[in-house]
Amino acid sequence: MKLASIKPITVLISRELAIAALLLLGISFLVFMVLFLSPGDPFSSLLKDQTASSAIGTAARSEIGGPAPWYYQYLAWLGNIMRGNFGTSIRTGLPVLREVIRTGINTLYLTLGSLLITLLIAVPIAVFSARRGFTATNWVLTMFTYVVSALPVFWLGYIVIYISMHRFGLFPLAFGSGAQTWSWVYFMLPVFVLGLSNGTMSEVVRHLREELSRVFSEEYICTARAKGASIWKHSFKEGFLIPITEIVATKIPFILGGAVVVEQVFNWPGMGRMAWQAAQDRDFPLILGITLMAALFVRLGSLIERAVHIIVNPRFAKE
Amino acid sequence: MKRYRQHSIEFGNLSDVPFWKTAGPIDLVYISYGLLVVLLVFVSYVLGMTGFLPFDPQEINLELLMAPPNTEGHLLGTDFMGRDILARLIIGIQAYFLPGLLAIALALALGTCFGVLAGYWGGGLDTASTYVSNLLNSFPRLVLILLMVAAFKPDIYLVMTVVGITNAPTVASLIKSKIQFLKQKNFIEAATALGLKNAVIIIKHILWHNCRSVLIIQATLGMAEVILIETSLSYLGFGVQEPTPSWGNMVQSGANYFMQGKFWPSTAPAMAILLTIMGFHLLGDSLNNILERKRDQ
Amino acid sequence: MIGVPVLKIENLRTYFYSSSKQAFSRAVDGVNLALEKGETLGIVGESGSGKSVTALSVMGLVTAEPGVITGNIGLKTDGVQKNLLQDIEDYVKITNENGRTVEVSKDNPGWQRHIDRVLRGVRGKEISMIFQNPKLSMNPFSSVGKQIKEAIMLNTSINNAQEARERTLYWLEQVKIDSPRLRYDNNPYGLSGGMCQRAMIAMALSSEPSVLIADEPTTGLDATIQSKIVSLLEELKSSVGVTTLLISHDIDVIKTLSDRVSVMYGGRVLESGPSKEILSAAHNDKHPYTAALLASIPTARQIKAKSYLQAIKGDVLDTINLPSGCLFYARCHQVTEQIKMQCKHQEPELREISSNHNVRCWRFFNA
Repeated sequence: MKLASIKPITVLISRELAIAALLLLGISFLVFMVLFLSPGDPFSSLLKDQTASSAIGTAARSEIGGPAPWYYQYLAWLGNIMRGNFGTSIRTGLPVLREVIRTGINTLYLTLGSLLITLLIAVPIAVFSARRGFTATNWVLTMFTYVVSALPVFWLGYIVIYISMHRFGLFPLAFGSGAQTWSWVYFMLPVFVLGLSNGTMSEVVRHLREELSRVFSEEYICTARAKGASIWKHSFKEGFLIPITEIVATKIPFILGGAVVVEQVFNWPGMGRMAWQAAQDRDFPLILGITLMAALFVRLGSLIERAVHIIVNPRFAKE
Repeated sequence: MKRYRQHSIEFGNLSDVPFWKTAGPIDLVYISYGLLVVLLVFVSYVLGMTGFLPFDPQEINLELLMAPPNTEGHLLGTDFMGRDILARLIIGIQAYFLPGLLAIALALALGTCFGVLAGYWGGGLDTASTYVSNLLNSFPRLVLILLMVAAFKPDIYLVMTVVGITNAPTVASLIKSKIQFLKQKNFIEAATALGLKNAVIIIKHILWHNCRSVLIIQATLGMAEVILIETSLSYLGFGVQEPTPSWGNMVQSGANYFMQGKFWPSTAPAMAILLTIMGFHLLGDSLNNILERKRDQ
Repeated sequence: MIGVPVLKIENLRTYFYSSSKQAFSRAVDGVNLALEKGETLGIVGESGSGKSVTALSVMGLVTAEPGVITGNIGLKTDGVQKNLLQDIEDYVKITNENGRTVEVSKDNPGWQRHIDRVLRGVRGKEISMIFQNPKLSMNPFSSVGKQIKEAIMLNTSINNAQEARERTLYWLEQVKIDSPRLRYDNNPYGLSGGMCQRAMIAMALSSEPSVLIADEPTTGLDATIQSKIVSLLEELKSSVGVTTLLISHDIDVIKTLSDRVSVMYGGRVLESGPSKEILSAAHNDKHPYTAALLASIPTARQIKAKSYLQAIKGDVLDTINLPSGCLFYARCHQVTEQIKMQCKHQEPELREISSNHNVRCWRFFNA
């Protein structure tokens, strides 16, 4: 790193961090308002639970002699969350934060794994069609991405389970139980299904192909070829790194949404399955914690994207 | 909804040459397929409303449970309660039709408002609308919907409102970049210099002449998304409830029999979903190729 | 000037398809050029005359657009002797009838990859290129120094990073970039257009090529910078002495730098010969097109006399629908009644009128 370019990059990244913090604040407020406005005032019951030992809540409550006004409730709740106290699940009585982190890690495996699968399929197709233009093979591959993007993910899940049961004699097992020889195959199935049909494949291919063919026709790639250098090396930053982080960051919410369904199909003990359970039970503290955690994932993803953008693109850093 | 990079487009693009003369043949094939899907959706809706169906979709026939396709006039077979699958498929479109239109209308209306505010006036409004967009984009849609469902009640219109609102940022950013592009070309300054009122410039010259194709494309892609969301929700049990059919809950209820090797009750609606969503995607993408990208000859 | 040409282009044709593939535009249509060791050959012509495409065809860089290419490009240097379009007939075939192309009868898209294979070890190593638009032609994501270093390490015997760095600094100095050590780490966006072009020239020369192709090296730069780049190229010509194919629409640039010149129009060479002879206003025996080009440059005398500039009437040739006769017929001033029918219906050959001076015009050899 050159001395001259270090300063703006750190400044820009800290600016992005500040924006992310501001967004998380907004997210918490939005989530709060949803629950606050919902019938039956679940929020005050949640807060009562949550702040049993907290002085703020009780003080506010006794002073006014009724349910505390919304901003008291919000601030009290926010204060608790800042201290890592997300309350306890109504159904199980376990602390929400620990539960969310435990299942969140499983979901992270699932989503990152499926992201890898998506990219492993999408990037070669995109590269192939960017280089070769419109051909029959290309058309077949593009159609394939359209089909998998439009397939209902759980239906694909059923097919896969059916095939694995009838052809390979594999049975859905509780996650992690029993060290069966083939259990890792079963572990791979949901990752594979989500990676294939999280509904983003056609878009990932499309975005990468457009960016790649644009970069390939840039004049500096022509220069690189003229001097005998590899065009892949020269197009890597603008043609691969930036578009891939861009599309991954924008697609994280979709993949997390797909994870909810896939976890349900495969009995995967992740955050999405827990969200489903919580919605079923109207377990507010839990669904709140999950929503916040999911939003945190998304913000983290776009933070990484911004950072890559800033570090890679010198023009951007200069502004 | 999909995001597209802003492609350059000249004002002269609304020339007398109709778009199908300049489009590639493959795009035309996709567009005709997409339009066919749209037509089928409308026809099914009308058929469902007028009750002009091969069988009564709710009629339970215990003698013909899980009949395979093409038995006794049941073209696609019957489901686990002996109901005709084809009739249920046709009537199932009603689950999407009005809620979907609501979601799309909401996304387009909100998106246009925010886009115009951010693009035309800019400054603080732009910052604010970027913030709101990022905020809404932070939630996985399905998780947000589950939160709403937990807080209120499982209702398709509520869900579609959420879908509409969360889709608005995409529309807004497209409209915004379009307006910024027009500004770059001094088009708006010129219009102002001619003494046109802001309202006229925005509604006639910006939205009608330059943004309508964006809106059509986003509406198309929005419909695909509505179907996908409803399908997932039905699978999770928060969508349209039995006995009212929707393609989502048909796949879900049929899928239990999939394990027994009886594939048709879930395959028929799954194929309907697949072909419809693909139709909308292809239509949207091809329209985008043709209308939004000026091909230099 | 007798010797074996380093680069010999024979009957080069490069056609581009229209988007519907119904028609093709003849960007380069049967060009013959020979570049001898140590000389600078200029190609001059209006935009759209096919001069840049000729250069890109030599480098095998026309692959960005759908098209076809045929002909022979012989390269003969100390290290390499080969036809840069070898075996192209396996992929592309163009049928001719009386020197006019009738149709593209074979077009296998694999030719682009085939040429990439043939040119491996030639691009950069034997032939290197300077592009127009220097700011866009340097990779914006990498520093100028690294890009030059990459060219050195790829194309010369130097493969030690430290040595390559020293060599880079040497070349940066050669092209008169001040404080090369500082500039080494600059990205192209941090340099001015003129500076970027100097870096481009350094990069092209640093590979120590046998042939340098300079495609409009001064286009897109400010007038003052242009003259500085021209004088830099002039200096380098005497100090480095690399064989150069110089392409420009700027007659002054060509006049200053080149020994011989070819005038292109509509994808064909209309005239070629010593640049002193062809590009001097005093010399009378020249193609009407060249005369018209020269007349369109303002001279000090004309400016004093406040006479108007003479633009060439008419438009640049439509290379999709070629006329049947002389390509320049529609815009020509010098058609006389006597040769009119010939000009209109029969295309003249490129024939020698004095030593090394060839012209494609009926005026000089009226049969």
